[in-house]
Amino acid sequence: MRANVWSGRNTVQVEEVPDPQILNDRDAIVKITSTAICGSDLHLYDGYVPTMKRGDILGHEFMGEVVDTGRGVENLAVGDRVVVPFPIACGNCWSCRHELYSVCENSNPNAGMAEKMFGHSTAGIFGYSHLTGGYAGGQAEYARVPYADVGPFKIEDDLSDEQVLLLSDVFPTGFFGADLCDIRGGEVIAVFGAGPVGQFAIASAVMLGAERVIAIDQYDYRLQMALKKAGATDAIDFSRDPDVVEQLKELTGGRGPDAVIDAAGMEATHGHGALHAVDRVKQATRMESDRGHALRDAILACRPGGIVSVVGVYGGLIDKFPSGAFMNKGLQLRAGQCHVHKYLRPLYERIRDGQIDPSFVITHSLELGEAPNGYETFKHKQDECVKVVLKP
Amino acid sequence: MNRKAAITVNRSLDEVQRLWRSSDWSPDHIDDDKATVTFAVAPGDRGTEIHVELASPGPGGKVGEVVETVVGAGPVAKAKDELRHFKQLVETGEIARSDAAPEGERVGRKLKQRPAQPLAEHELEKAGA
Repeated sequence: MRANVWSGRNTVQVEEVPDPQILNDRDAIVKITSTAICGSDLHLYDGYVPTMKRGDILGHEFMGEVVDTGRGVENLAVGDRVVVPFPIACGNCWSCRHELYSVCENSNPNAGMAEKMFGHSTAGIFGYSHLTGGYAGGQAEYARVPYADVGPFKIEDDLSDEQVLLLSDVFPTGFFGADLCDIRGGEVIAVFGAGPVGQFAIASAVMLGAERVIAIDQYDYRLQMALKKAGATDAIDFSRDPDVVEQLKELTGGRGPDAVIDAAGMEATHGHGALHAVDRVKQATRMESDRGHALRDAILACRPGGIVSVVGVYGGLIDKFPSGAFMNKGLQLRAGQCHVHKYLRPLYERIRDGQIDPSFVITHSLELGEAPNGYETFKHKQDECVKVVLKP
Repeated sequence: MNRKAAITVNRSLDEVQRLWRSSDWSPDHIDDDKATVTFAVAPGDRGTEIHVELASPGPGGKVGEVVETVVGAGPVAKAKDELRHFKQLVETGEIARSDAAPEGERVGRKLKQRPAQPLAEHELEKAGA
């Protein structure tokens, strides 16, 4: 089959590789009809995530048709149309039983490696470095899906691929970011990053009852999408004024947002000049793995007693964590890779009921063979790119 | 040198002890001669803790073990692999396999990962799939 593989920093290529096979009884093989490039794939592309190997098939957002099932999979049949959640979760361990699917205790066969980095292992993830298991990803014609009796979500009506594909990651991830904010009605929520996850965090905060939602980015076209499509009430363009903390205070009558969602992560690009330069150099020389502006500013901007929700991806360590602000303001820091399985049905129902159509973020649809162009376009924000879908 | 490893399995004490001692389970590195294995009920209805303490190596075995441990493939790491396999088998019914580590978690695979792409036909049998 053809697959998009990582071949070193800033390089991906579409190659011929062996077809996947059933390795365990609970596996299924899915023929992929649509797959997307995620913002977190750019961290791999840019070479900021360790434990990548040449030849790794990328991609963790995909859907398609079941073409084979192992003996232990009774809920799926050949021909079923499914969306596959990006975390690989067994459904049996204590974490899965408590709906903490992205920290499944059994699905990462490189748990020892992950323990060295994080203290504990987290779930396996498709196409997302060897630290999360070394599973082949979904930017390919076919994928092997482990624990297929737990993960894949059947789509049994006529919604298009574009409407349901993003249930695999970015829609639930954005919703999770908003869900962590304990929105009860009337809150002001700020969202760092107006990429796909940020757009869905904004839309979700609105759906959950926030009164005002402030989008923060440096690209006007993304802020326009946030205002016109996702439902943001305000926008901060930090390419014009980098002091985001001060602008957030001003927009909130000096209080600060009730909760701040970091949907930017480890390659944040704003921040105060000198600090950004230091972070940039340290990250480039691998002295610091993550650039932490968004997280630092989130903590500084959040109102005392508020919540900072982190769904943007971090991989290692940041310097200059504002521990004083965090402690003295009594903030709650909440985070995680999304527990996608938990959100699939409720979010699918919101799509089916017409509350949201996630396809609004899709700006580019390319043939799988065009993946290298897709990565470049997305990385450099060319052609007003927000989300790239690939068709095998 | 730390000679202990532990894991929690989401099953009752009786069941974990029975499965650990069953003939279907035969760990290579944690065996009765070299290790003390104890079981305890985990707090909060979280199943059973398995604690393994490996015996100290004889004087001749020490140098080799230090070398193995430095490269991350010491006896404790191997014992942890076996504990994870046991937990996976008991909780999920199978060993987690990826393209990079098709035999499942194994210290020897840490530095010799396959690329994350499907196995060719000739590799499938070797991986025990």
